[in-house]
Amino acid sequence: MSRIEALAKFGASVFTGRGEDVQTTSYFFSYTVRHSPLCRTLATEAQASMSASTSSPPPQPTTSKKSLKPRLSTAIILNRSPIITRSRTPFEQAYYAYQARIRRALHQPFPYDFYFKQGSLLETRFNLEEKEREKAAFGPGFVQEEWQDPAKAEADKAAVKVLAQQEGEGEPLTPRVHPSDTSGDTKSLDRAGERNLYLLLKSTEGGKDVWRFPQGGVDKSEFLHQAAHKQLLAQCGETMDTWIVSRNPIGVYKPTQTDANAPEHVVFFYKGHIMAGQAAPAEGIQDFAWLTKEEIEKQVDKTYWENVKDMLSDF
Amino acid sequence: MASAALKSSVSSLLPRFGRPPRIRAHPRKDRATGLPRPPVKLVTREHAPCRLEDHYYNTLQDDLMYMTYKHEHLPRPTPRQIRLTFDPNDPYAKNRYNPPVGGSRVGKKLPPPSTANNVIKLEKIVVHSMVKEALQSKSNLLGAIMALRALTGESHKAGGRHKVEGVQLVRGKKSVGGWIRPGVPVGAKVVLKGQSMYDFISTLVEFVLPRLREFNGVVLPPESSSSSSPSSVSGVVSFGLPPQAMGFFPQIEVNQDSYPKMYGMHIHFVTNATGLGAENRARALVSGFQIPFVRR
Repeated sequence: MSRIEALAKFGASVFTGRGEDVQTTSYFFSYTVRHSPLCRTLATEAQASMSASTSSPPPQPTTSKKSLKPRLSTAIILNRSPIITRSRTPFEQAYYAYQARIRRALHQPFPYDFYFKQGSLLETRFNLEEKEREKAAFGPGFVQEEWQDPAKAEADKAAVKVLAQQEGEGEPLTPRVHPSDTSGDTKSLDRAGERNLYLLLKSTEGGKDVWRFPQGGVDKSEFLHQAAHKQLLAQCGETMDTWIVSRNPIGVYKPTQTDANAPEHVVFFYKGHIMAGQAAPAEGIQDFAWLTKEEIEKQVDKTYWENVKDMLSDF
Repeated sequence: MASAALKSSVSSLLPRFGRPPRIRAHPRKDRATGLPRPPVKLVTREHAPCRLEDHYYNTLQDDLMYMTYKHEHLPRPTPRQIRLTFDPNDPYAKNRYNPPVGGSRVGKKLPPPSTANNVIKLEKIVVHSMVKEALQSKSNLLGAIMALRALTGESHKAGGRHKVEGVQLVRGKKSVGGWIRPGVPVGAKVVLKGQSMYDFISTLVEFVLPRLREFNGVVLPPESSSSSSPSSVSGVVSFGLPPQAMGFFPQIEVNQDSYPKMYGMHIHFVTNATGLGAENRARALVSGFQIPFVRR
């Protein structure tokens, strides 16, 4: 399975990696995002009304006892879906091999004369390949060799070889391991092709460097999912095309407050997909990384991990 | 070549399972056919990983759950009893159908509460093709049957599965004067389930739809169309392909001359969605498999 073939997944996610050639599209995208009140790409039914967002106060670090309304924030779990198929466990491989053999044993007779012209090169090739497949499935003793003129057999083999060369067979497939896997480059979107990757940002909070998902406050009279997308653009630049999956939050996190008088802080998580481009962190963001679930556990704070782990995919 | 390479890599990994087993005892032979009768019932199951199925379980299922989730913080009220129901102990009314007031109201039914267990899922795909010429002569159906067989690879009870029906004939149901009579074969259909369903989608999306001329996507009904019609609450997405499209399927393309003509077809994606807005949810699922939809 080649990498490109497997790329034909969710949103034709061909990752360019560099920002130059996606500038125009991402500009257009951000333009439409800013100027359309509700940007939806899929024709789903109307969602539940987000009445909570209308009454949300702006993020203000006020300490007055009057404002007991919680301070709202939104965070985005930006996901890069798998771009190659998962490699199978030995048990799965054995199962598939066994089932393929049963299938081969039980299949109905193949109508040769319907699909091939009598004595054509394609038929010869099919017969030769079929013999190999039968041998692989049922052992070398299973296929009974018919007598054939040795000169003709040689000629057939040579012709099939030439045909294979013409059709470009035998070219090496793209390896399943990308150079960024071996070099440990966590910024590359081509790394860990079998896994779901998530965008993590490194920033300073309370004098400490922490890794977290892109996160930001909500303005007054702003929808939560729009606020989430706006903050994503503000923190990760406009050089990537993203799609926020739903208007419904997928999770909530209430960080523990150090100041007892401060209003409660509530973070709503939204899921997004990256379609093209790459993150370009803005000022205040020190670093970014595309990490799998296990790698995220090592980077983030323990309480944060306990709250976000169930929103991430195991694969 | 690739399959041979895969085979060899599998067999090197798995000395026990990759190699064919030694035949220890010769099975009994069927007297009528002379063929060996296996001692167990053989059924074929998945023989290769399926890319689109993986895609559904890795990405689509989560996304669709988030997209179609409706929050209900209270349990649903019980339906109002407008009229007294029959007394079940009355021997006259016992086992009698108790019709609801105002009809069954199928189009008004709410979808079941959103849970992680009833996320929308593709159940089957039905491909069917009507051949008008079959009314003159039944033999005109043979081309369509052969084409559907080649397209889907399904055959009657294939792989020892008694539920697989393969290509079935579609017969007339009503009598329309001068045109059709009940029981007259007019078309053929195939029901695809499981892996073959996903394989069909991937061929359709990768080989056929991109090569269709003037195809921008499946046309959605206008926004003014009724949301409570039977089709929009049944969770089925249907569209048709013109006869030219059949020639773009690689299974047909390889020997297109062998078929008397190309046949158009209707494709129905049947999902488990029910209730109001079911068709829209089904469209969201189908578009996740990269089948485009456009609004005119």
